[in-house]
Amino acid sequence: MSSKARPFRLPSPLLGLYGLLVAGLPLAGLAYALLGSVGLAGPLAAGFTGRYWQALGADSGLPYAALFSGWVALASLGISTGLALLLVLRAQPTLRRWPLPGLLYVPLLLPALVVGFYLFQFLSRAGWLARISFRLGLISRLEAFPELVQDGAGIGIILAHVLLTFPFLTLLFLAIYRESRLDDYRQLTLTLGANAGQFRRRVAVPVLLRRAAPTLLLSFIATLGAYDIPLLLGRPYPQMLSVYIATRLQRFDLRELPAAYLAGFLVAVGLLGLISVLLRLTRRVRVE
Amino acid sequence: MRSRLLAFLLILLFGLPFGLLGLLAVGEGWRFPAALPPVYSLNVFRSLLAADNDLLAGLGRSLLLAGTVAVAATAGGFVLARAIARSRRAARLEAASYLPYALPPVLLAVLIQPFIIRLHLSGSVGGVLLGLLLVALPFATLLLGSFWSGQTTEYEHLARTLGCTPRQALRQVLLPLAWPRLRTALVQTFLLSWFDFGLTNVLSVGKVRTLTVQVFTYVGEANAPLAAVASLLLVLPPAVLLLVNKSALLRKP
Repeated sequence: MSSKARPFRLPSPLLGLYGLLVAGLPLAGLAYALLGSVGLAGPLAAGFTGRYWQALGADSGLPYAALFSGWVALASLGISTGLALLLVLRAQPTLRRWPLPGLLYVPLLLPALVVGFYLFQFLSRAGWLARISFRLGLISRLEAFPELVQDGAGIGIILAHVLLTFPFLTLLFLAIYRESRLDDYRQLTLTLGANAGQFRRRVAVPVLLRRAAPTLLLSFIATLGAYDIPLLLGRPYPQMLSVYIATRLQRFDLRELPAAYLAGFLVAVGLLGLISVLLRLTRRVRVE
Repeated sequence: MRSRLLAFLLILLFGLPFGLLGLLAVGEGWRFPAALPPVYSLNVFRSLLAADNDLLAGLGRSLLLAGTVAVAATAGGFVLARAIARSRRAARLEAASYLPYALPPVLLAVLIQPFIIRLHLSGSVGGVLLGLLLVALPFATLLLGSFWSGQTTEYEHLARTLGCTPRQALRQVLLPLAWPRLRTALVQTFLLSWFDFGLTNVLSVGKVRTLTVQVFTYVGEANAPLAAVASLLLVLPPAVLLLVNKSALLRKP
């Protein structure tokens, strides 16, 4: 075949190289972390040992970080979903009026790190809200202001994620509402004798949640692995998973490395498991 | 009345970050319990114009890095998406594409760091670029995957039947058809790299001082004015992109 007639085609070795890059490198990293956790890789590797795996039962750090991350992700997603549903189902005419359609895109401009910095300056004990409260006579001293950032329950982290997530979910639900022609269903259910509340509870919410399920799960996974916001708004204990692993790996004590590799390996495997559930869910939603 | 109140609350909620960051940037000697800065100054913004300004250098570095990642990932993703669509192992390759994109960037950085060190790329722009491409390339490949449908192939065949060379078919048929998706991929991979902090910070060991790394450094130094200016600079390019194309910010692979 002459070069003129040959179609534009990628040589297959490049496809192999792509597979090696996107799957090979992370999987090699996972394997290295696994080997590191049993003493077979890393700067202090001294032969096979199971003591880091055995120590896992005694160390509450990782399970606590996992529980704390789960709580933050669940609370953030729950509040964001609730707010977005409320706006779409109760205030849609307002959302369509200027300047709100454009305004909902604004949080998409904000990097997580900037949101973390902003909320720290706004909600900390010496922050703007505390200063305004002091000026208004609502508090008499710095310590009287509630601990809203770097707190044990992760309130600051949750608020930051809600601020970033709920506008995005509102835009998503609005799009699904239109695509699913829920306005037509609303008319139909009202004609059949149902009231507006029944339409919202029995028709709109199930349709919106079902179609948005893959994105909701993706948001949950993204919050579970969040790093920038908990790094600024979180405490040294409890920490979220990514901060916990990165902090342990960056310590000067090299003897900490195998346990950090173990934590990285377990978290990565857990998240990949969740992603496989997400892929299955996405396929099912597409088929429906 | 209720809708006006809601609109006011949402405007307040989304406008407040910019207001507070602006006040922090221009306020001097602003300490508790003052609700507003006692003195306003544009010194921080004026210093941006100095040739040796660290923030300006960070802005340039971030723009260059994010721009390179966006162009390389989109161009690579376009070619790779086509190859994957025509491969017998398309499903496997598509599943593999989710792997780096599925892990949190900082965790991915932690996992690949031993190899980045062995390649002597730790603490270098090259290492950060490789790490960012590892996330952005599969993202663009997945995003552009749906373009290579049977209909696109038919258009390409039609162009070839009518006498186009492969290059002409690519430039005059395929690229114009794919342009809306390519634009989305460019915007999203740019933002992916522009917003990144964790991966860059871990792989560069703090040496590649992008704007996000600088924000974190200034926060650590309790230098709120400079952190606020860096934050406002970080918001600028996405704001321009939002004005140019809103839909490009939302599409997911």
